[in-house]
Amino acid sequence: MKLRIDHIAKIEGHASFTADIVNGDVRAAKIKIEEGARLFEGIIQDRKDVEIPEIGSRICGVCPVAHSFAGFKAIEKAYSIEVKEPALSLRKLMALGQLINSHALHLFFFSLSDFFGFKSDLELVNAYPEKTHDAVKIRDIGNKLVETIGGRSVHPLTPCIGGISKAPDMNELKQLLNDCQNNLELAVKLGELFVNLKYPDFYRQTTFVSLYNSDEYAIYDGQIKIGEKIIKPEEFMVLIKEIQKGNDVAKRTLFSDDKSYMVGALARLNNHREQLNPQAKELLEESKIKFPCHNPFYNILGQAIELVHCFEEAIKILSELVKKEKIEVSETVVQNRTGNGLGVFEAPRGLLFYDVKIKDGTVQKVNIISPTCQNLANLEADLEEFEKIGEFENLNTEERKNKIKMLIRAYDPCVTCAVH
Amino acid sequence: METNQKPVIAILSLTCCEGCQVAIFDLGERFLEFLTKVNIGDIGLIEEMPDVDKYDIAIVEGTAITKEQIRKLKSIRKKSKIVIAIGACALLGGPQEMKDYRGDKKTLIRQIYPNVRGIDNPNVKSVKEMINVDYEIPGCPINKEEFFRIINEILENKIPKIEQKSVCEECIRKNKMCLLLLGKPCLGAITLAGCGAPCPKNNFLCDGCRGPRQKINLNAMKKALKIKVRLNDEEIEMILQRFGKCNELKKANKP
Repeated sequence: MKLRIDHIAKIEGHASFTADIVNGDVRAAKIKIEEGARLFEGIIQDRKDVEIPEIGSRICGVCPVAHSFAGFKAIEKAYSIEVKEPALSLRKLMALGQLINSHALHLFFFSLSDFFGFKSDLELVNAYPEKTHDAVKIRDIGNKLVETIGGRSVHPLTPCIGGISKAPDMNELKQLLNDCQNNLELAVKLGELFVNLKYPDFYRQTTFVSLYNSDEYAIYDGQIKIGEKIIKPEEFMVLIKEIQKGNDVAKRTLFSDDKSYMVGALARLNNHREQLNPQAKELLEESKIKFPCHNPFYNILGQAIELVHCFEEAIKILSELVKKEKIEVSETVVQNRTGNGLGVFEAPRGLLFYDVKIKDGTVQKVNIISPTCQNLANLEADLEEFEKIGEFENLNTEERKNKIKMLIRAYDPCVTCAVH
Repeated sequence: METNQKPVIAILSLTCCEGCQVAIFDLGERFLEFLTKVNIGDIGLIEEMPDVDKYDIAIVEGTAITKEQIRKLKSIRKKSKIVIAIGACALLGGPQEMKDYRGDKKTLIRQIYPNVRGIDNPNVKSVKEMINVDYEIPGCPINKEEFFRIINEILENKIPKIEQKSVCEECIRKNKMCLLLLGKPCLGAITLAGCGAPCPKNNFLCDGCRGPRQKINLNAMKKALKIKVRLNDEEIEMILQRFGKCNELKKANKP
């Protein structure tokens, strides 16, 4: 039997799904990407270095901060420039804001309806008006973090080579701290809602890859952690390959031995959950998930736990910043605009790489590997074994389709990022 | 709109970053309130109900690049009373149009994909160049406040307008610390206002994401970039190409 889902709603961008079910066995599971090719890597070539993050952020309107930072970090690596305080803290706050707004959107508006069988969020809004307002408020705070420091929530303006070009107003930072403190409880409540949901029973062993930083729960910077192994990002690039299946417009990233791996919230929790902030950790314990966790549906819960972590982390950073008399940022003078650099950053959906080569300030080459490019092969491998999901044989075609859509959405794929 | 019935709304996305739709979402509570005033025809980010036959208002972001998207865009026009094109992609072609300014397109696509057969790579056209559009809300991303004003005016049967003036007129650096005078390639002078000039406010030059205002003097702009910023012709062209606005600049140029 052919299984076909023409349009998968509630993900960023457009994709469809096909598979064959032969004697109860799922075969030839394929996510087809339905976006036009934009050739960003080609467009950026021959342009000025600062255009890497400026144009790159236009790859995705949901995680533009991630693209901007991965781009700037690549340039800074190429030029051997170190981002210093307070610019580093300001960038980290923007990164937290990005995770908060993206996770809140995915958790509440894309994923939650699946657990109740709602076909429209309007049903969800009517059934849970209070929770809806909480989710909107949480998302607003994420946006405010990005906007106050970045100048704009979609496609931020202040990040520059070496740091941040404009210091935020101290009163606004104090207001942000207040907002985060006053609403941490809301984030915990939303987290509890996700802890108490019933996740589909599914298991497939895979490898989890994330950033790792011995000082903190790695989002902004770190080494690469693959299972138990910790290596440099540059070493990781040698272990992977990008392939194009047929004439697909989205490439898939695999280990060189063709094995897939998973990035994103669940990978981060699997790899360094012990570094979560206290309330997030408490929530994780409450959930009683066993680690390593090889059920991709728990990526949703992982995001809910990270949401709480991000609030706590933002409070920590803001509390330090507001102790200062004044926030001052200075312009970095770039001496030599030639070099190669790899920028890596934990976008909401997982690792994002910008690998650049620049000569005299002009881009010679840029390669971008987005989280969804890395997750696509892993998602398809999960779907190939989808018959293992609890009670598969008892589900009718419609129910099977709904469960498949739910798994696809659990990965929070960003098709616009996958085709860049 | 007919007053006795809620208008049917669709928010539709073609190839783009979807940042304009995110900006609409960013209205937060105001977006939820807006949803209570309308019936949903198709909003893929929040529902998966079967599509409807007619829309009263279709809000479209992105550019139609694949054959399927071109077909979809034409069908959107047929089934909608009002089409609103939003964002730099739908109105100018967007950053993706820059791929067409680089000479041989085949060479460019081959650098990225080993197998290019079957991948649509037409010259990018804006939504405006492909179908008739009733209203335009520019920007990369759109200014959510401007969107909110315009969509409400349409719901109230008013005719929304965007005042024809330059970004300079909204700029806090006006008459002092002007980025162009400081030697930065700022396009505020030829760019349509309405954004509130957030870029120059944040030390970032205006790169013209809203497209040109009417009756600009393109040569004067180029001359200023040459003298104040010391750019050569090629560098100037590359700056003007951003967001794919070359065609629009030619049309607006009436010194």
